[in-house]
Amino acid sequence: MLMCIKAYGAAPHHMSAPAVPLAPGYGPLGYDLPPAGSYERPPLGLASDGPVIDSKGQSTSLHQLMDERITLLSFIYTSCSDVNGCPLASFVLNRVFKRIANDPRLVDKVQLLSLSFDRMNDTPAVLSNYATRFEAKNQPNWRFLTTPSEPALRKILSDYNQFIIEDTNEQGEKIGSISHLLRVYLIDSDRQIREIYSVSFLHPDILIQDILTIDQNPQQPIANASSDF
Amino acid sequence: MKKFIALAAMALLSPFTVADETCMSPYMAKIVGQEDFVYVWTLGVEGIGDEQDKLVTVAVNPNRDNYGEVVSSLSVGGRNEAHHSGFTDDRRYLWASGLDTNKIFIFDVHSDPAKPSLHKTIDDFVAKSGGVVGPHTSYAMPGRMLITGLSNEADHGGRTGMVEYTNAGDYIKTYWMPRDGALNGAVKSGKYADGYGYDVRALPRRNIMMTSSFTGWNNYMMNLGAMMSSPEAMANFGNTVVVWDLHTKQPKKVLDVPGAPLEIRCAWGSQNNYCFTTTALTSEIWLIYEADNDWHAKKVADIGDASKIPLPVDISITADDSKLWVNTWNDGMTRLFDISDPNAPSLVSEYSIGEQVNMVSQSWDGQRLYYTSSLLANWDKTESTGKDLQYFKIYTYDGEVLEHQLTIDFLAEKLGYPHQMRFGAYSLYGQKAPQTPRKFAGLE
Repeated sequence: MLMCIKAYGAAPHHMSAPAVPLAPGYGPLGYDLPPAGSYERPPLGLASDGPVIDSKGQSTSLHQLMDERITLLSFIYTSCSDVNGCPLASFVLNRVFKRIANDPRLVDKVQLLSLSFDRMNDTPAVLSNYATRFEAKNQPNWRFLTTPSEPALRKILSDYNQFIIEDTNEQGEKIGSISHLLRVYLIDSDRQIREIYSVSFLHPDILIQDILTIDQNPQQPIANASSDF
Repeated sequence: MKKFIALAAMALLSPFTVADETCMSPYMAKIVGQEDFVYVWTLGVEGIGDEQDKLVTVAVNPNRDNYGEVVSSLSVGGRNEAHHSGFTDDRRYLWASGLDTNKIFIFDVHSDPAKPSLHKTIDDFVAKSGGVVGPHTSYAMPGRMLITGLSNEADHGGRTGMVEYTNAGDYIKTYWMPRDGALNGAVKSGKYADGYGYDVRALPRRNIMMTSSFTGWNNYMMNLGAMMSSPEAMANFGNTVVVWDLHTKQPKKVLDVPGAPLEIRCAWGSQNNYCFTTTALTSEIWLIYEADNDWHAKKVADIGDASKIPLPVDISITADDSKLWVNTWNDGMTRLFDISDPNAPSLVSEYSIGEQVNMVSQSWDGQRLYYTSSLLANWDKTESTGKDLQYFKIYTYDGEVLEHQLTIDFLAEKLGYPHQMRFGAYSLYGQKAPQTPRKFAGLE
């Protein structure tokens, strides 16, 4: 992935330039979705726990926050400048947040969590300001989180297969940017991961459709498939 | 967040994205500079070395002292009919499967890119999947792997399915290929709905996934001459490409593509809503394309003289969607087609690579191409007419001429029959190459 950095490293902001095509999540979806509940979101494994600190500075844990609600968990860092990276994730979650707030089917069932992996810079105060940018300051249905220690962060990232690389210059000094694959996790009320989104499917329409689908179809235990023959 | 996502976004959205790197999942982090290694999933052969399947790592960075050397070889114990391999989306693990034993070997390629280690072996693929046999393509999805099958446990014919796993190697779900009597919601658009499988590729921008169709265990484990002389066996090849809803994994449409369509390569350009495949038995290039809000298939070119059975195998599309490399196994040729007009590919040039040639992988910039020879243990040629028989070769391409740089004779090196190649690099994992390049310490 740092090969990618080599290729684009000379012009990282090029990726944020207007010439860069915007991810699908910024615009209307270019195709029709099947009706909610007409397809499956099979469980992908248990969503791990870990200690976190919210933007008010209060200590809690991921499982405490999940609290039998459907959760969208996004990994971000606030200084990310790639328009199709963390800003995309927060943009899409903002749209989902607004739609859930106006949907009586979902308002009490769904929450959003945005967890920073830049704990040195993303203090609770910084996260609070970031929440303001996305109209989510002090909103119980969208929390912005950091972690109490580096080992705690590393364990959460490892458990969610969210690997990061802190970018460095030729001298090996950190330059502030962090490389990672964009991932947003859809977690059901039983803490089972039901979908993992990357750029191409991180769209408000898809997220809402999937939320409605897993709300209608509680997870079935994973078992061996039966033969088709 | 900028680099990983930048790659994914560019791969999905930019009309200028450079692309085996050109043939990988669009969800995967890509190597866009110089690759350091090529991982060669290699069949073990009786009487050759330790006779085991192995992952052979070749150093390919021309700026390093070990350029062109085998730097590690990891044997997996026994022969499995080693065939295809693919990385997880984070590119930390390489999944490599065996068509005969149905084992999937998951190699850690990130801890030491010069020396992969065996992380895990999935040995209950058939039982978990409900009877899918012959794990073929390992295709990266976000946090998951999708494995295509070639066959089934019931009759070892070509009806099969796809099997989804988490990146950790935990079974998720089986998706059966639509067939007559069990279309699973798909529309049968022509004569065939055979339920066969082979390759899979995705076009996320259109929420589309495509699968192709080959043949079952009964055929791919049979001696080639015996199979080709058996009308019954030759009747059991796939004739379909299936278009799926990518997000829901539901089949939408079964297209007739007669003659065993094998590798699928999709265009990268943001407006280029089409993919190519080639048919092994009829030696044709087919275009699978979107028009009138639907998906269609049509033949767009011939590959060599079909009457001589050139047997098209691997193909590789360039990053700008302008060219397609097409290998034909039986005559050992690689052909370059201009696909600027996808409806009318035209032959640009052709080169003899060896006695037989199967896989081709090109670098992101298209300037380096790598070739291997082996197709299947029981189909490979065992005698040469003077050309290289089992090899790994490096070529450079300057836009005009394909120039040979280096050959590793896999028989002379007692390694086996080399099959699929995947690229590795230190920089993928924030690592720097060691000052002293790794040297081969023998079979491990």
